[in-house]
Amino acid sequence: MERRELIQWLVATAGLQTLDTLDASDLLALGRDVHRSGGTRALSPLAKNNVSVAAERILPGAGAAGVTPFIDKMLADWYTPDERRRFLAGLPELDAKSRARAGLDFLACGEADQIAVLTALDDEVTALRAARGSAANQHWFAMLKYLTVYGWCTSEAGMRALGLFPLPGRYDGCAPV
Amino acid sequence: MKEVTDFDAIVVGSGMTGGWAAKELTELGLRTLVLEAGRAITPERDFVEHKPPWDMPFRGLGDRRTVAARQPTQSHSVSFDEWSHVFWTDDADNPYSTPADRPFYWFRARQVGGKSTIWSRQVYRLSDLDFEANVRDGIAIDWPIRYADIAPWYDHVERFIGVSGQAEGLAHLPDGQFLPPMAMNCVEQHVKERMRAHFGRDRMLTIGRAANLTVPHLGRAPCHYCGPCHRGCITLSYFSSINATLPAAQATGRLTLRPFSVVRSLIHNPQKNRVTGVHVIDAVTKTDRVYTARIVFLCASALESARILLNSGLANSSDQVGRNIMDHIKWGGANGDFEGWTNRREIGERPNGIYVPRFRNVASRHPDFIRGYGFQGAASRGGWGDALRAPGIGAALKARVAQLGPWSMSLWGFGETLPRPTNRATLHPTLVDRWGIPTLHIECQWSDNELAIHRDMNVTAAELLESAGAKNIEPSSSVPSTPGGTNHEMGSARMGRDPKTSVLNGWNQSWDVRNVFVTDGAAMTSSGCQNPSLTYMALTARACHYAVEQMKRGDL
Repeated sequence: MERRELIQWLVATAGLQTLDTLDASDLLALGRDVHRSGGTRALSPLAKNNVSVAAERILPGAGAAGVTPFIDKMLADWYTPDERRRFLAGLPELDAKSRARAGLDFLACGEADQIAVLTALDDEVTALRAARGSAANQHWFAMLKYLTVYGWCTSEAGMRALGLFPLPGRYDGCAPV
Repeated sequence: MKEVTDFDAIVVGSGMTGGWAAKELTELGLRTLVLEAGRAITPERDFVEHKPPWDMPFRGLGDRRTVAARQPTQSHSVSFDEWSHVFWTDDADNPYSTPADRPFYWFRARQVGGKSTIWSRQVYRLSDLDFEANVRDGIAIDWPIRYADIAPWYDHVERFIGVSGQAEGLAHLPDGQFLPPMAMNCVEQHVKERMRAHFGRDRMLTIGRAANLTVPHLGRAPCHYCGPCHRGCITLSYFSSINATLPAAQATGRLTLRPFSVVRSLIHNPQKNRVTGVHVIDAVTKTDRVYTARIVFLCASALESARILLNSGLANSSDQVGRNIMDHIKWGGANGDFEGWTNRREIGERPNGIYVPRFRNVASRHPDFIRGYGFQGAASRGGWGDALRAPGIGAALKARVAQLGPWSMSLWGFGETLPRPTNRATLHPTLVDRWGIPTLHIECQWSDNELAIHRDMNVTAAELLESAGAKNIEPSSSVPSTPGGTNHEMGSARMGRDPKTSVLNGWNQSWDVRNVFVTDGAAMTSSGCQNPSLTYMALTARACHYAVEQMKRGDL
């Protein structure tokens, strides 16, 4: 990456107003940190990759529509520390369940095994919802799925696919489907 | 250049009624100063209705932590969201208190335009069923006016603001100067017809009467159905003071609009018993300023205007300033599903719903309560929002997200509140706002009459839906709204016929200090069940013409 490009990226990802106050070693350290995290703030590089792949499997197109940065933003700035910890503590279940099933980490698994792992987690949440209603929303996988669906439906790609964007500029209360 | 500080008229507030006072007074020839506590608004910069969710940091879910710290009360408003939150006040800067067990939501907007930017734009006339209600029921005091007094002013206001609606010929919900109505969707049309077959004209359904344009009107473009009006409207297609009245006032060349001007109190000359001006604190520099004028219009919103009077120690020989606070009780109603029309959908976001005019205590007498309520609502098909917690993953989930749900219809009641002197705001003995101005302590709670109205909403909403063939009818399980929560607070400086029991006469003029007028919701003697802004605007225009006539005659 070119230095100029790196600085622009740093400004964008770390939200710095100015880099004037940083000396060369600060810049290098910051660059290493941002590289290591892949530009995310709450998600580690591994967590980020797991979330990206899981999101794509949960809702095809979600990864390309950029739900991972949205999920990272929500974890960093919206959820409570408890909620964030619950999510981040639950996420390694992807690897644990994948190893139990296929002997491989989640990212190393083939698509079929990844889908099987996610389906098992979804079934777990569905059973929890049947037993405990909206308390199931606190499950880390329920959080991931909610953020994935919400993130896609509010992305440009998602809203175009759902026919919600661009706006029609008129009202018809009885239009053919 | 030296700042001009002397005017013919000062208007406190630049929103729904302040904008009307500015327009009428300047058009009648007065050099008018409008004082606004908050910032200026530039539509091109500040209106964000077309900003898509993916351009918002939290995609519309709001900045939860900042809201919890700075706007915990304002965020309860139905039109508060990640886009519009900038149009509501900062609760930390603008504190008030209530008893711990009796919350009151005081929704406030401090910027040019006030709450006229974020209102829901529903406009209904009161009728003599409302103006005669107190005297008929033998409660509180009689209104000093009747429908005939205000009807021409309703016409005057409607012609300017532009109201889309359907004339129905109801005596208790008079028709107005309507632009073409917005369309109902197929299910609403069906419900309307079934209700007519079942209830005749006793309970009927009409399209909402909304200050949203359906045709070009006085240089403003018709609605383009983008949906979130409360984030502003770059095409000026709904009425707000920014979109319509303030530009009209500006065009006269006689308007001075001063943002960041927090009014602390009115300045009184006891020898002449007149208000000579207004004590302002500059919101930015916190320095004191004084502006003088021959007349002052308080249009600061019901509780803020009462607060200014209380902080001034004026216009309160009746001890009614701050009392008789009313709102509309809500969250009663019902929802039901409709089978069919699966090959039909809505296109565009209609910023309006349907209306069921009041039917209780109109022709008959209900045993449990006096007054009544109207329903607002809409039929629609569920969308992706219903799939956020749906089971399944992968292509099946994606198909579920894209699927339209069944048609369903919701009806929500807006119930009349009785004026009671114990529902009251007083000056807090110690609490002040960011500008050091004493703030309010508000004690307000529903009476048995409002609670009975709220229970009845659930019953009759279900009946209406049942008459139309709805399935899975669910009456509302919500507790009554928190007082203030409908943002229709009113009554805190009421009009009346007797200076001993009212603050204002039949022209919104202070009995005690004749050159002070209060024309926002504070003036209301009873609440009706109709959305009240239209009445505030009509009363404002009427009072302005009266005041200028009085000035010309030398009486003011």
